[in-house]
Amino acid sequence: MELLTENEKKYKLEFLGKGSEFFGIIIVNWLLTVLSFGFYYPWAKAKKLKFLYGATALNNDRFAFHGTGKEMFVGFIKAIIIIAIIYAVFFLFLFLKMPLVGILILYAGIIAIVPLAIHGSYRYRMSRTSWRGIRFGYRGNRNEFILNFYKWFFFTIITLGIYGAWLSINSRRYIMSNIKMGDVAFNYEADGSDYFWMNFKNYFLSIFTLGIYTFWWYKELFAFYVDNLSLEKGEEKITLRSRATGGDFFVLIIVNLLIVIFTLGLGYAWTVTRTMNFFAEKIEITGNIDFDAINQTEEDYTDATGEDIGDFLNLDMAM
Amino acid sequence: MIKGNAIYYDGLSSLSQNIELIIDKERNHLVFTTPLVGEINWPIENIEIIFNSQLINIHFGSNPVQAIKIDEKEFIQEFTQYLNKNNKVSWYQRLINLGTKIHIIIAICFLGTIILGYIYLLPIIAERAVVLIPEDYDTEIGSSFYNQYIEYCEIDSIKTEALNSFAQQLDLNNTKNLKFTVVKSETVNAFALPDGNIIIFTGLLDLMENYDELAGLIGHEVVHVNKRHSMKMLCRNAAGYLFVAAILSDVNGIMATISDNVNSLQSLSYSRGFEKEADEEGLNLMIKNNTKPEGMINLFKRIQSKHDINIPAILSSHPLPEDRIQSIKNLIKSNNSRYIENKSLRDLFLELKD
Repeated sequence: MELLTENEKKYKLEFLGKGSEFFGIIIVNWLLTVLSFGFYYPWAKAKKLKFLYGATALNNDRFAFHGTGKEMFVGFIKAIIIIAIIYAVFFLFLFLKMPLVGILILYAGIIAIVPLAIHGSYRYRMSRTSWRGIRFGYRGNRNEFILNFYKWFFFTIITLGIYGAWLSINSRRYIMSNIKMGDVAFNYEADGSDYFWMNFKNYFLSIFTLGIYTFWWYKELFAFYVDNLSLEKGEEKITLRSRATGGDFFVLIIVNLLIVIFTLGLGYAWTVTRTMNFFAEKIEITGNIDFDAINQTEEDYTDATGEDIGDFLNLDMAM
Repeated sequence: MIKGNAIYYDGLSSLSQNIELIIDKERNHLVFTTPLVGEINWPIENIEIIFNSQLINIHFGSNPVQAIKIDEKEFIQEFTQYLNKNNKVSWYQRLINLGTKIHIIIAICFLGTIILGYIYLLPIIAERAVVLIPEDYDTEIGSSFYNQYIEYCEIDSIKTEALNSFAQQLDLNNTKNLKFTVVKSETVNAFALPDGNIIIFTGLLDLMENYDELAGLIGHEVVHVNKRHSMKMLCRNAAGYLFVAAILSDVNGIMATISDNVNSLQSLSYSRGFEKEADEEGLNLMIKNNTKPEGMINLFKRIQSKHDINIPAILSSHPLPEDRIQSIKNLIKSNNSRYIENKSLRDLFLELKD
């Protein structure tokens, strides 16, 4: 530890977006999306991500999202076609009076595309993200991830959902550990059983306390995501730590709730910026990686199909 | 020429390089020099400009992504002026630049329009759209619901037969074949399915004291079938879901909507308008069949006195039973009804009361 402190660098993560700015984006996006019968959706999404990334700063420099509406529109169309084919097969079997086969194919089809969507989404999202001109990248192997995902999913089914904790954490570990920011590598080390028991404990504590303990559950979940994440570059390392307490989450969530209620939902934008601000503020970064000397290593990737399938299936794939 | 200090990232490393950035107004280029590369020229139409509160970020190229950060106040001001003057600000950015006040006004107007559309326009459109749905579909979902539902019920077959004979003696203006089923249950309820199946619980039959009350109930339920009220409500609900999902840009919601609806045929509560229509037209059917229209009033009063605990579906809609009773009374006053005692209806009714 003593050696480390000598080279220890200062890191500052901030979210600088204002609620009013985000509100403007949401309203303009909303207007355009409805007026275009939904076709503006991919462009709206690009604008939203550009704002959220651009408002996040590390060491005074902003992140950037380079994805375009056009890329996501192409992905959107491909996603619609893929999902339409699955539904077409489903209806074909309904028509042939084989509803069970149809339903099986529908579920199998959707489960089959989930890992594809996750993989594609990360490849796209990371490749389109940069900081100081250094691109992020996701280097997971598609086939390896898909096979693993199916295997974990199979275990989840035969254990009646219990293995879901491992499915979730194993997937996360695989994905996060394959993320690069130039020549800095992300590393996520967590174990499904820790995750399972953490949720198990919090579930019952939340029930016994009539839900009050939920805020402390959030605290532990957040810490589970943050604390297990680290960055590495050769011998240099950065660790992340959550400073959020259950009380912090209580204030965050209750105030957000009040904002939404008393503004009849119009205050939603402010709740997002408040939450982002909270996350950035509560993550403590320590280590010795020199952020002035990161080298570009990642390649360009512009296929947004996975990203858009993810939207259709309501997959939540934020980092 | 606009000049200012800025920071440049070459996209190859995260090292920041201090540069003097020049905006060449004549060629519409950004120009700067770095010790490594020399002079660099970016055409302004190819750059992406991101405005933050006290900061401008400029991105150029995709492989590598080069970036410039400007935080000099004066420079930002002049640069913004230049962009505005030369129409280099995208229409999207112009909408954003309208400011929070205008955005709030847009949001409120927009929300108002949507709410008004949802309340007044959507039901009308959805009900009109029912014409496009073939009646076969009513039959199909009605009978599939009936078959599933009836499996868990105890049918009183003798009373069912009597009820069907009772209904056959009435002229009900029906286009579909009506099929009545009496289910043994304490529940004070009755409901009509879109295929012409009408289910009445013994709990409700036991409450009645005169055959004109039954005629009133049948008249009311038959109007729901004749006017395709269930289908109209399904369309309304489905349209409502689709509408909300579309407004919230919830793609997933749109995909999962309609199927939920069919399962709720029994608990489907009709709108105020539909109940009123069923009351009025049901009353007309009673008058047409020379039964005492007051039967409907008596029926409602009996149900009302009974339903403190749970409101049966036939009374479930928004108008209070009192209001409905009053409006039926008014209708009776304005109509000339001719009451002829119908012995066979009375006998069949007594069979149902056993």
